[in-house]
Amino acid sequence: MPVQFAAKRLGKELNKIQNGLPPGIELVSADNLEEWLLDIRVLDNNPLYLNETYRLKFRFGQSYPIEPPEVVFVKQADRPIPIHPHIYSNGIICLDLLGQQGWSPVQSVESVSMSLQSMLTGNTKNERPPGDEEFVRANKQRPKDIEFYYHDNTV
Amino acid sequence: MSGQSSLALKEEGNRHFQKGDYVAAEALYTKAILADPINPLLYTNRAMARLKMSRWDSVIEDCEECLRLSSSSSTSTSGGSSKNFKALYYLSQAHLPLKNYDQAVAYALEAHKICTETHDKSLAAVTSQVLKCKKERWEHREKLRKREEQELEGEVVEMLRREMDGLLKTSSSEDGDDEEERKETEKMYEEKIERIRAVFERARDKENQRRPNPPDWAIDDISFQVMVDPVMTKTGKSYERASIEEHLRRSETDPLTRTPLTIKDLLPNIDLKHACEEFLNENGWAVDW
Repeated sequence: MPVQFAAKRLGKELNKIQNGLPPGIELVSADNLEEWLLDIRVLDNNPLYLNETYRLKFRFGQSYPIEPPEVVFVKQADRPIPIHPHIYSNGIICLDLLGQQGWSPVQSVESVSMSLQSMLTGNTKNERPPGDEEFVRANKQRPKDIEFYYHDNTV
Repeated sequence: MSGQSSLALKEEGNRHFQKGDYVAAEALYTKAILADPINPLLYTNRAMARLKMSRWDSVIEDCEECLRLSSSSSTSTSGGSSKNFKALYYLSQAHLPLKNYDQAVAYALEAHKICTETHDKSLAAVTSQVLKCKKERWEHREKLRKREEQELEGEVVEMLRREMDGLLKTSSSEDGDDEEERKETEKMYEEKIERIRAVFERARDKENQRRPNPPDWAIDDISFQVMVDPVMTKTGKSYERASIEEHLRRSETDPLTRTPLTIKDLLPNIDLKHACEEFLNENGWAVDW
């Protein structure tokens, strides 16, 4: 796949995004075609996420969208890491559609953001994934290199 | 001729090409051709270096020589025919800056056809070339059209002026006729001219308005580009051939349903292909929407 493939597709995604995103999703920055930041909010009254905004970081490789982007929550003074049984406290997300197996090239920044938004909306468990502390302490790798075990696909 | 074989010369040329020293690469490919003037593949190598040097005319010569040699070598080997697409691809790239738009489009489409048949990995690059040629051809035609319309506007205004002058002259020759009538005629024609200019202006304004996004049916959901060669999966959904093949090489699944899907399952969507072609002919801007 030539290098320009990812750049062209991202340019067009950006064009689309600038015409509007779904409620609760906002573009923070897309200064280059490697890393974008977005903010997401949960729109209903789920007490776990009430009045909070979360920051997402997308990183794209040159084979995007054939290969998935790397997507993590990033912590800022006013942007905590949302609590969820599939989100580690360092921001790494365990979601099959972001994995090598579950990814599809018809997904986009917008659709991934919406999936994460609805993953939060539907959650009632005030907990981190099992082994979170250990995972966060041991993990120095990028999310892409980790083989997740999708222990619970109902969440 | 020195003892160095054409193969060794070509490989040395490739090394220079990789480093970005196209001048040295071109010289070595030339030596390789002198050592073995009937090998068609050497000509595409040199054409590739000459492309980088923007020597469009000599790119065309090399590619045409390559095509001539590979067609005369009777039943060309599989290696030969897969190189042929390169000659066609480079021909397209050389004709485009020379403003030979129709040729650039035609060669890109021929290269696309061969890549499709051989499932070559360059299909995505060739598909982009088709779009690029179509876009530039459209821009060129638009420029001509706009110029013609501007000239037409000038001519129409000029004709009205002349008609008015004629009328004024005849009325003045009848001498003594009232100034009132002359003024009336002048006013009427000025208004007509004003109206003609407004009509042209309105047409231009409409064109300069921000264009909407191209329609979803023309867009491939993987590359987000207007489709050149849409193919359909078992679900009835169509994708650009280059995009879906690239995906299937990585994962043999339908992008929407994740059920098993292979390249053999893809069917060309001819009607959609024609619709996309027609759309692009009228809307070349949609290549870079």
